[in-house]
Amino acid sequence: MSLPEKLSPEKLYKTCNPGEFSFRSTADLDGPIKATGQERAFEAIAFSMGIKHDGFNLFALGPNGTGKQTAIMQFLATIAPLAPVPSDWCYVNNFKQPRHPGALKLPPGKASTLSRDMEHLVEALLTVIPSAFSSEEYQVEEKNIREKFQEHQAEAFEDLEKKAAEQHIALIRTPAGFAFAPEKNGEVLKPEEFMSLNKKEREAIEKEITNLKSAMQLIMVQIPKWQRETQEKINELNRNIANFAVKPLMAELKNSYASLSEVIEYIETLENDIIENFDQFLEKEPDPREMLLGLPAGKFQQKGALLNRYRINVIVDNSKSEGAPVVYEDKPACQNLVGDIEHISQMGTLLTDFTLIKPGALHRANGGYLLIDARRLLLEPLAYEALKKALRTRQIRIESLAQLYSLVSTVSLEPEPIPLDIKVILIGERQLYYLLNVYDPDFSELFKVAADFEDELPFDGDGKLAYARIISAIAKTDKLRHFDRGAVARVIEQGSRITGDSTKLSAHLQSISDLVREADYYAASAKRKLVKAADVQKAIDARVLRSSRIQEKIREATLKNSILIDTESEKVGQINGLAIYSPGGQSFGHPGRITARIRLGKGEVIDIEREVEMGGPIHSKGVLILSGFLGARFAIDQPLSLSASLVFEQSYSGVEGDSASSAELYALLSALSGVHIRQWFAVTGSVNQFGQVQAIGGVNEKIEGFFDLCNARGLSGKQGVLIPASNVDNLMLRSDVVNAAKKGRFSIYPVTHIDEGIELLTGVPAGVLDKSGNYPPGTVNGMVVAKLKEMAEKIRKFTASSSNDED
Amino acid sequence: MKLLIPPEEHNILFRHITVALDCSAHSNASLNAAAELARLMQADLTGIFVEDINLFRMADLPFSHEIRMYTAEPEKIDTVQLERSVKLQAREAESSLQRVAGECNVEYSFRVCRGVVPTEVIAAAPDEDLLVLGRSGRSPSCRKGLGSTARRALAEGKKPLLLMRPGFSASEGSLLVLYDGSEGAHLALSTAISLKKSGNTLHLLLLAESYEESLEMERELKQERALTNIAVEFHHLPLNNGKTVVRYIRMAASGLLILSDRMKLSRESVHDLVREIDYPVLLV
Repeated sequence: MSLPEKLSPEKLYKTCNPGEFSFRSTADLDGPIKATGQERAFEAIAFSMGIKHDGFNLFALGPNGTGKQTAIMQFLATIAPLAPVPSDWCYVNNFKQPRHPGALKLPPGKASTLSRDMEHLVEALLTVIPSAFSSEEYQVEEKNIREKFQEHQAEAFEDLEKKAAEQHIALIRTPAGFAFAPEKNGEVLKPEEFMSLNKKEREAIEKEITNLKSAMQLIMVQIPKWQRETQEKINELNRNIANFAVKPLMAELKNSYASLSEVIEYIETLENDIIENFDQFLEKEPDPREMLLGLPAGKFQQKGALLNRYRINVIVDNSKSEGAPVVYEDKPACQNLVGDIEHISQMGTLLTDFTLIKPGALHRANGGYLLIDARRLLLEPLAYEALKKALRTRQIRIESLAQLYSLVSTVSLEPEPIPLDIKVILIGERQLYYLLNVYDPDFSELFKVAADFEDELPFDGDGKLAYARIISAIAKTDKLRHFDRGAVARVIEQGSRITGDSTKLSAHLQSISDLVREADYYAASAKRKLVKAADVQKAIDARVLRSSRIQEKIREATLKNSILIDTESEKVGQINGLAIYSPGGQSFGHPGRITARIRLGKGEVIDIEREVEMGGPIHSKGVLILSGFLGARFAIDQPLSLSASLVFEQSYSGVEGDSASSAELYALLSALSGVHIRQWFAVTGSVNQFGQVQAIGGVNEKIEGFFDLCNARGLSGKQGVLIPASNVDNLMLRSDVVNAAKKGRFSIYPVTHIDEGIELLTGVPAGVLDKSGNYPPGTVNGMVVAKLKEMAEKIRKFTASSSNDED
Repeated sequence: MKLLIPPEEHNILFRHITVALDCSAHSNASLNAAAELARLMQADLTGIFVEDINLFRMADLPFSHEIRMYTAEPEKIDTVQLERSVKLQAREAESSLQRVAGECNVEYSFRVCRGVVPTEVIAAAPDEDLLVLGRSGRSPSCRKGLGSTARRALAEGKKPLLLMRPGFSASEGSLLVLYDGSEGAHLALSTAISLKKSGNTLHLLLLAESYEESLEMERELKQERALTNIAVEFHHLPLNNGKTVVRYIRMAASGLLILSDRMKLSRESVHDLVREIDYPVLLV
C-alpha cells in the first residue's frame, strides 16, 4: 500500500487571478446586481407569478442574506408595471345596519374623487337644507299645520267652554289640568253660596258638570291623535322640502357616476338617509353640557358628525399607481395584514365607526404582489392564520382582534369582506419551509411553489464576474470606493473560503456586502482612491481579530499547558483530534487530545462522552461505527475480549459530530497494538465500518487551528494534519499556512483509508491480510490481532479458573 | 320746522312697569318685553302673580274634580296639593323674573296676591304705570283673541297697556304706528319714537278720509324734527273702518303695533282691532 503524499501548496488554496478580468476596476462595470446561478429559483418565481390559479403562491427559501428579496423585487419590477392597475376600494356607511359597513369597488383613482365629491356634497347640503327650511314658504306652511292643530284643539275647548258658560259653569285651568265649577258674575261660587242652593239646583249643577267632564275627557283623549296627525303632516312637509332641496345635488352626483351601478345604488341610499335625517343639517344650539365636557360644540360638532356619517373611507387608492402593486410588509402583524378597526375614547367609552377602518397590506397589495418575511410572520400572533384565511376564502375580512378574544368589551364592526386577488411571496429559511410543509396541512395547499435559492455559485468565470458586478453595484449604491482587480479577486477568494469549498463561491450577499464596506473603510484610512487587495485582506484579518478573543484564550491556555496538547513526542493511545468552535458569527478550530485505554472485557467500546451525556448522537454514532469496524476486522475468528474507553480530554462543554471518529479509531488501534502515535500530527475525518475516511466540515478552520498552535510553539517541519482526501476541494487555507507548506514546514495529508492514516501516524505499516488470512507480524494490524488473542486467552483462562473456584 | 309733537313728549318714559306672571308662554313673552322696556326706559319692574281665588273656591266645592292633562282622568282636587302647586308656580314666576331682570340689569320687585286674576292684575298697575300682559293666559280656549285679563284690562280702559305674545320683541324689530292726526295718534307716535332703536324702521300707517289728506299728513310729518334721522316708511289707508286696517296689519306683519284708543277711529273699532290681530299691541 502506497502512502498518500502531502498536498502541494497549490492544492491548499485556489487563487483568483486578477489578470483574468477585462475591467480595471469595478467602476467599469454597470447594471443591477444580478444573482447568478439562481436559475432554478428564477424559474420557480416566473412560474408562480405567471400561473393564475389559487394556491400557487410562492415560498422563496434559502439562507438569509442570499438576495432572495432583491431577486424577487427585480423580477416583479419587470412584470408588475405591465399588469392592469387594480380597482380602488372604500368603505361606506351602511345606514340600515351601521355595524356592517359596506365595501364599494371603483375604477382606479375614482375613490378619492368620490370622497372629495361627498365632502363637497355635505358642505353644500349644510347650506342648501337650512336655507330651504328657513324659507318663508316652509315657515308659513309649517306654521299653518301647527296652527290647524292649535285651532282644532282651541275650538274643541271653546265649544265646551261656551256650552258650560250657558249653564253658568266655568272651565278653569288648574296647575295640573282642567276643572269645572259653577260661577256667578265671572267668579266661582263660594262653597257656602253653593250649599245655600236648594238640593235640586245643586244636583242639576253636579249633573251638568259630570257631563262636561265626560266631554272634556273625550276631547283630551283625542288630543294625542291630533298631535300625531299634525306631526305626520309636518314630517311629510319636511320630506318634501328636503327632497326638493337635495334632488338637484344628487342628480349631479349620480350623473358623474352614471356608469357605476354600485355607486349609484349607494348614492340612492345616501339620498334617502339625508332626506330622512334632514334635521341634522339644520343648525343646532350647542348643548351646554357637552361644552362643559370639552366636546366639540355647535356647528363644528354638527359638521364633523355629518362629514363622518357620509364620509367615504378610502381603503385603497390607486390613483397614482402604475401597474400592479408590489408591497413588502415589514411588520406582518395580523392587523397590518388584514387591516384593523380602531376605536376612539370618548368619556371613557371606546367608540368606533366605519371611518375608523384601517386597511392592511392585503388591501394595498390586492391585485398585485405581497412580500412577507416568513419568520416575522410566524412570530406575530395570529398573523399566519389570518393570512391563510384570507388566501383560502379569497377575501379580506377585517376583524378586531381585541373583540375576537374578548379583550375589549365594546361595540365593534363587521365590515363587508373585500374580494382578494393576490400573489403572496413568503421569504424564509429552508428549515421554516420544511417545518411548515410537515406540520401545517394548509401550507402545501396555499404555497404550492417553492423558489429554492442556492447558497453557492460556481467558482468559474460567470461566478467571478457576478461577484465583480455585486461589488460594483454596492459601491455605487452605498457611494463607496471602487475595487481594483486585485481587490475583487481577494473578495472572490474570501467568497470561496466562506463556502468552505474551493470550487464554489458564497451566494450570501450580506457577507460580501459587509466585506466590501469594511474594505472601503480601510482604503479610506489609507487615503486610497481605489480599494486594493491589501484593504480587503485587512478587513478579513480585522474581522478575525475582532472575534478572536476566545480563540486566543484557548491557545494561551494550551501554550501554558493548562490544556495538554502534545505536538512533539510519540504516545500510545493518544492522538490530537480537531474541534470547531463557533461562538458568535466566526468559527475557529483547535486541537483536542483524544485518548483510548483498553482492558479485559466483553468487546464494548465505551464512549465516555456519551456515558456522561456530554456527547451528541452523531458523535456516539461515530463511536459505534468504529466499534463496528473493529469487530468486523478483528473479531471474525475470536471474540473481542476487551473493553475500550475513549474520551476527549479536557472537554467541558460536550462534543458533537463524527469528524473525530477516525482519530478515535487511530487512538484505539494504537492502544491495542501498543504502537506510538506521532503527536506532531493532528487528525480529522469520520470513518465508516469499512475503515474508509469520509469528508467533514470546517476543514480549513481545523487545519489553521492546529497550525496556529504549532506555529506558536515553533514549526518543526514534521507537523501536519491528516484530512479526508474528499475534503481536498474544500481547502482555502490562510496565506500563512500556505506559505509554511511551501517552505516545507507544515504538511497536509489526504487520507482515504484508516490503514493509510495509521501508517502515517505511527510510521509502522498497517498490514494487509496475507493469503492465509493473517496480518503480518510487526504491522499495526498484526500487533492488534496478537494483542486481542492474548486478551482472549487471558479471559478464557480467567473464566475457566473462576468456574473451577465456583465448583 | 313744524312741531306737531311737543318736545316733552319725545321721550315718553314709563317710570314703572308691572308685568303679570302666570308661567304661560304669553306671560314669559310679557316678562321679556317688560324687562327690555324697563332697561330702555330705566324703569322699575314689578312682577305680579295672582293666586286665582276661583281655583281655591272650586277646590272647596264638594264635587270638585280636575281632569288631569296627561291621563284625561278625573281626580278629586286636593286643596293642600293645590296650594302647594300654586305656591310652586309663584316661585317659578319669581325665579323667571329674577333671571330676566338680572339679564337686563333692571330693578325689580315681586308680589303675590290672591283674588280674581283680572281685578288683581289691573289693580297692581295704577295710574301711569305700564301694564304688560300676555294676549292670552293659560287657558287653551283663549289661544285666539284675548284672554280674560287682557279683555278686562282693555274693557276697563287701562292705559298704557302692552299686550304681548310669544315670538316678538318690544324693543327689537320694526314698529308700526297708527296715525290719523288725532291727539291720541300724536301720543302713539311719540311713544314709538321713544321706543325706537336706531336701525329699526318706523312704519307709519296714515289713516285719512282722502288720499290727498293722507299725503298732506305725510308731508307734515316729514317736516317733524323728531322724525329726522329716523328711518320712516309711510303707508296710506282710507279711514273708514277697522277691518281694512286689520287686514293691512296682518299683511304687513311689521311687529309691535302702537296705537291709541283716542283716535278718529272709534274706541270700539280700536278694541276690535286689538282683539283681532295676533300681534303685540301697545295701547297708549
